[in-house]
Formats: sequence, C-alpha cells, structure tokens
Amino acid sequence: MEQSKFEYRAPLQWGDLDPYRRERTHVGMWAWLIQRFSAVLIVIFLTLHLFFTYKPFLQFMLLVAVALHAALGLRVILLDFNLADIKRQRNLVYWLPGIGLALVLLIWGIIY
Amino acid sequence: MTSQPTTRTVRVFRYDPAKGGDGHFDTYTLDIPAPETTTILDVLLRLQREQDPSISFRFACRVNMCGSCGMVINGREALACKTNVAHLPPAQDITIRPLNHFPVIKDLVVDMEPFFAKYEDALPFFEPAKAHDEPYVIKPDDKARVDIGMATDCIACGCCVSSCTMVNHHAGYAGPAALNRAFTLLADERDGLFEARLTRALDSCYACRTEFNCTEVCPKQISGTRAIKYIQRLALKHLKSLKPLPAHPAEDKAKDPAKAGVKAAAAGASSTGCSCGGHHAAPAAPTPTAASPDATACPPSDPGTVCASRRSFLTAAVGAGTVAVLGGILGTAALAPTMGRTPAQWVPVAPLKDIPVGDISTLPLGYTRRQAFHSEQVQTSVLVRHDAPGQVLCFGNSCPHLGCAVSWDPLSSRFKCACHGGAFDRDGNVIAGPPPKGLNRLPWKIEDGILKVEVV
Repeated sequence: MEQSKFEYRAPLQWGDLDPYRRERTHVGMWAWLIQRFSAVLIVIFLTLHLFFTYKPFLQFMLLVAVALHAALGLRVILLDFNLADIKRQRNLVYWLPGIGLALVLLIWGIIY
Repeated sequence: MTSQPTTRTVRVFRYDPAKGGDGHFDTYTLDIPAPETTTILDVLLRLQREQDPSISFRFACRVNMCGSCGMVINGREALACKTNVAHLPPAQDITIRPLNHFPVIKDLVVDMEPFFAKYEDALPFFEPAKAHDEPYVIKPDDKARVDIGMATDCIACGCCVSSCTMVNHHAGYAGPAALNRAFTLLADERDGLFEARLTRALDSCYACRTEFNCTEVCPKQISGTRAIKYIQRLALKHLKSLKPLPAHPAEDKAKDPAKAGVKAAAAGASSTGCSCGGHHAAPAAPTPTAASPDATACPPSDPGTVCASRRSFLTAAVGAGTVAVLGGILGTAALAPTMGRTPAQWVPVAPLKDIPVGDISTLPLGYTRRQAFHSEQVQTSVLVRHDAPGQVLCFGNSCPHLGCAVSWDPLSSRFKCACHGGAFDRDGNVIAGPPPKGLNRLPWKIEDGILKVEVV
C-alpha cells in the first residue's frame, strides 16, 4: 500500500465528539455498565460490612449491589450458553434485575 | 404531516487533511419538507449541491446494499441511505460524524484498512475440506444452515466495529464483523479450515462484553454478539485441540520493531500467526520465526524487553497474589470467631446488696463479645448462690451436655436442665441425666460492692 501524502486524523474514539451518544445508549450497554459499577460497589460495601457489622443501610446497599450484579451475571450466563432467546436479550435486561430487586425487597421485608 | 417547522439544523464533522488538526463541526441550516421520505444521504447530497461543495462522504448504491455510507448519525452508527430524518429524535439537531476506530481521511470518509485487515485475519473464504465435483445439496431446514441464517448478509460497512466499545481496549480484537464472518464458516461442516479459523478467533471471542451494541446498529439485522457466543461455545467444545496464539504485536509493550513486525510468513491454513498488525509500527524485515502456535515460544530478545508469555505470567502471579490476599482477609474475617481463644472479660452482674442471701438467684447478664471484625451482643443469665455476705458461687446457665438453659428449681432444690432431664445439686454436681460434668463455675470478684464474673 503506497503511503498517502496527507495526514490522516487519528481514529475517533467511542463517544469522542459525539454529543448524542450518551443519551442514545443501547440497553445492553447499560447492562454492562451497571454490572461493572455494581462490582466495584460490592468490593466497597463488603469491606465496610466487615468493619461495621449489621448496619441496616449498609446491608441494604450491599444486598442491592449483589442482586444487580448477580442478575446481570445470570443474563450473561444465559446468553453464553444459549439458554435464552438472543432475540429477546433486551427483556433479560429488564426482567432479571427486576426480579432480583423484588427478591431484595422480599428478603428485606422478612429480615427487618 | 406534523405542524413542526421543516427547517432543521445539520451539523457535519469536518476534517481537512491539508490543514490537519482535530476536526470540528460545521453547522448548516436546511429546509426538509418531507422528513419521512428524506434520508440522511439526501441531506448530505443537498448540502453538497446547495451549500458546501467541499463536504466529502462515501456512497454508492443508495439502497442499503454496499455499506459505503456507514457513519455515526446522532450518536448511533447507521447507513446514511437507510436512515430517514424522521427516524431521529425531533428535538435533536442532525449530527453526522465519521465512524469510530478508523483513521479519518477527510470529513466523513474513513480508512477502512484496519477493518479489512481484521477481516482477512478471520480467513473469510471457503476452503472445501474434501474435493467435491457436484454442487452441494443444502436443505433449508438443515441445522447448521438455520444456525448460520442470514449472517452471511454482512456488507462490511464497519458500523458494528465502530459501535463496539471493546475495540478500543484490545488491539488484537477482531471485532464483530470479522468474528461474524468466521462464525458463518465455522458453523459450516464442509469447510476445511476449521482449526486455523477457530484458533484465530479464540483470542478475540472472549473480548466481547455482551453489550449488543453491534447487534443494535447492524443495518442488516445481523447479531455479531450471537456469532461471538457461538464461537465461544465452539471454543469450549474444542478446548483440547486449540493452542492460543502469541500476543498481538500491538499489545507487546516492547519497542523492538523487529518484534513488533512479527508476521506470519503466509496467510494460510498452516500458519496461525496474526497479520492484522497493519497499523502499528512499520514492519521491519519479518523475523523468520516459523510461526509456531506455541504461545510460550519467546523470540530471542535483549534483556529488558518482557516477552508476552512472561508478561502474562507476571499478570497471573499478581492476580493470584491479589486473590490470595483478599481470600485471606475474607477467610480470616469469616473464621476468626472460631479460631483461638476469645479474650475473657469481667462483666458486672449486680450490686451485692441486691442479691438475696441464702438463696440461689438467676440474674441477667448482657455484654458485647468482640473478636476480630465481629462484635456480638450476648444476652444470657448467671446463677448466683449467695451463702453468706461476700460468699458467692457463680454458675454459668448452660448445661454441659447440649448447652440448654439451666434454671434453679426451689421446690426440688436442684438445678434442672430441660433438654434430657439433666439435674445438678446445689454445688453444681450432676445427680441425674446425661450431662458429662457438673455446671460450669465462673470466676468472680467483688469490686465497689458490685459482683463481677469473668466470661468470654
């Protein structure tokens, strides 16, 4: 390939100079972001949980973070092993965390 | 027709290679009377004819078949000829930008070279496993045919690679289009390059984070994610027969151009080397490393450069260390209460003057038991035998048999335990039932007229 005599502009990165990218983010992207974020939160809350045992607010936040992370992890497992219809992948993002949060509220209502 | 004003603001990314720089957006105003039937490509063509002849963009077929006019329109990758103005949110300006992850040549025109380098790496051609003279008979309900489905319809527009966030982070990641192409041939049992193709896809197929960005933007409704998941399952199935490739040269931090230029001698079934390094360092004379599939083969280099396998070993070691430390902390925290002796403490029971003399009374005892990260509120009771002023015997209230609560029964004048009919006399010795030894006597002292016992 012969070298062009013009300078190419460096590749634009994802979200770079892209004013509408964030507000038009797709559902699956949110699923991944929430899972990433909840993983970090789990590390933080779990550490706090070891030092300050049985603080209800902390317990609740830890439970929510674990539920979200687990629900979205379940989504990835279902898709990985072809156990869910991949055409319905958006529904997984709504339903699994929804069920997870409902279970959290149920558990919370039983314990406290 | 809506009653909205038909004038729209159009912002187009401009980059002039003669001037260089980072590029900027130019803003135009255009009257679009029929947004339902006006495509973004029409908008660009009108801008070029009516307002600014210098705008550059690619297009060819105008009917969503060639994939030339892929670009980012209002934050989503799409073909300009397939996207109507009415498809965009009416509150937003029409904002047009070139694809991500490709070098920009001019305005909206990008260099697709890296895309096709990755595409070629996936061996996108059919190589029959055995010679076949007659046409193949393929039934439409054949399982493999159904699996492949319409995945062969890819028009290589680059939208999926542009929308994928992981292309940034993994230099060796082939991207959804190349992997989708690999999938169509991997799922085909007539193909003879199965192992070579799967080996090349192996590194890439685990970079996917299941975001479905590629699926959402594909103008042909192909799911790159589905293809990648299929390849991952294949890789699991053929785990034993596959050997990973050496690290991608661009991921090798070594500044040694002889190493960065390591390429496969020939792209073929026999070699498993990666040739998608078209855009990192200028390839020097290819070092004659007979592209061995052995990942641990480290080309001889001067000390100071870290070879890929060593780097991955270091990474693994650091990772294992982190896991071990975290596991140690968590394990200790979980098991600490069961390990070693819990520190004893003196707990006040009651003022001595409040305890009736000549009687045995059950007094409540509440204290906090602390161990490592744990603290626990203990609520129990202590049995105090007050014979004479200052003469005290304190018994713990749990039966030595199974730890049930022991209470003093004044009628039969004995300590009774509910569990299996255990009974103890006034001195705490066993007189009936299964308890192996007498009641536990607690050390006690009297401080400032207050009776204290030592508990753990």
